[in-house]
Amino acid sequence: MKDMARYGFILAVICVAAAGLLAAVNALTGPKIIAAAQAEEQAALKEVMPLAGKFMPVKSPADNTTLYYKAFDNQDKLIGFVFKASGKGYSSVIETLAGVFLDDKISAIKVISLNETPGLGMRVAENKFTGQFNQQDSLNLSGVEAITGATISSRAVIDSVIKKAQEIKEMVKNDK
Amino acid sequence: MKDLVKEFTKGIIKENPTFVLALGLCPTLAVSVSVINGIGMGAAATFVLLGSSVIISLVRNFIPGKIRIPCFIVIIATFVTITELCLKAYSPVLNRALGIYVPLIVVNCIVLGRAEAFACKNNLWRSFFDGLGMGVGFTLALILISAIREFLGSGQILGRTLIKGFEPVFVFGMPSGALLVIGLLLGFFNLLKNRRS
Repeated sequence: MKDMARYGFILAVICVAAAGLLAAVNALTGPKIIAAAQAEEQAALKEVMPLAGKFMPVKSPADNTTLYYKAFDNQDKLIGFVFKASGKGYSSVIETLAGVFLDDKISAIKVISLNETPGLGMRVAENKFTGQFNQQDSLNLSGVEAITGATISSRAVIDSVIKKAQEIKEMVKNDK
Repeated sequence: MKDLVKEFTKGIIKENPTFVLALGLCPTLAVSVSVINGIGMGAAATFVLLGSSVIISLVRNFIPGKIRIPCFIVIIATFVTITELCLKAYSPVLNRALGIYVPLIVVNCIVLGRAEAFACKNNLWRSFFDGLGMGVGFTLALILISAIREFLGSGQILGRTLIKGFEPVFVFGMPSGALLVIGLLLGFFNLLKNRRS
């Protein structure tokens, strides 16, 4: 019994010391992590919408999540939207960031998160595939060719972008 | 001093964690797709090994034998979390590439193995060099495996194409290819060892 109390006390001391150390590290790195995430987000937005100078998130009134971003040029004129589309690929959910102009033409897309087969599905993140989206009509994307051997991953990107583009178009229409 | 050098070098060749002790193969299989991932994972694991070895050897007389494992795990997990937070703050790109495998260093058997087999029985400096040597050995092994896999699997080293027109063998980019490479390397190093003795 006495031993048990002693063991418990020693474990508690170690845990308290560990927790204190972690709290200190967290306080140091926390703001940097948030800043890095924001900078990364802005850079990604800029990448799919190079013509825009400013992005404004549009929040869902229900749960305050970001639905899409409005992209403004340097004269504060609305030039398009940026949204995140996600679709089930071969072995993961593929997330794609897409920039669309007001006339439904795609500015550019960028695959931001995926875990597909290396050498096959992973290639949907490469420029050779994503570059095909530029200037395509976001509502049908008929000019985009799937990668040989990675049809499922390619279709996941194409279909998710089309679906989300339609949703956003509806939302924007209702907004007006 | 000579003693300390020996503790350091044994982790690299004679007791290499990957090729001789065959510890921590799970992250090795998963991460060794590209050289840069291998270096990142190796550096992260080295930091954790070093930190936990030093702390464990410092508190080794204070921890009763019966509860040493939970104590080791708390200490190791603390260092892993510090590593993860620092990676997230200073190198988000590497953090994304290593993904789930950084938090999984907690259960990497090299770290707990060295804590149990070495750090809890030896003094500060010996544990320090043991941890450092094991970390460097693990990193070198990861670099070797990932260089072979990156070259065969995607025809590149560090993202640069070496031979034009080389058709990559997809299987080496996948875990099954990693098993093949590790198995052949293990066999090769054993062959060398047997030849010498």
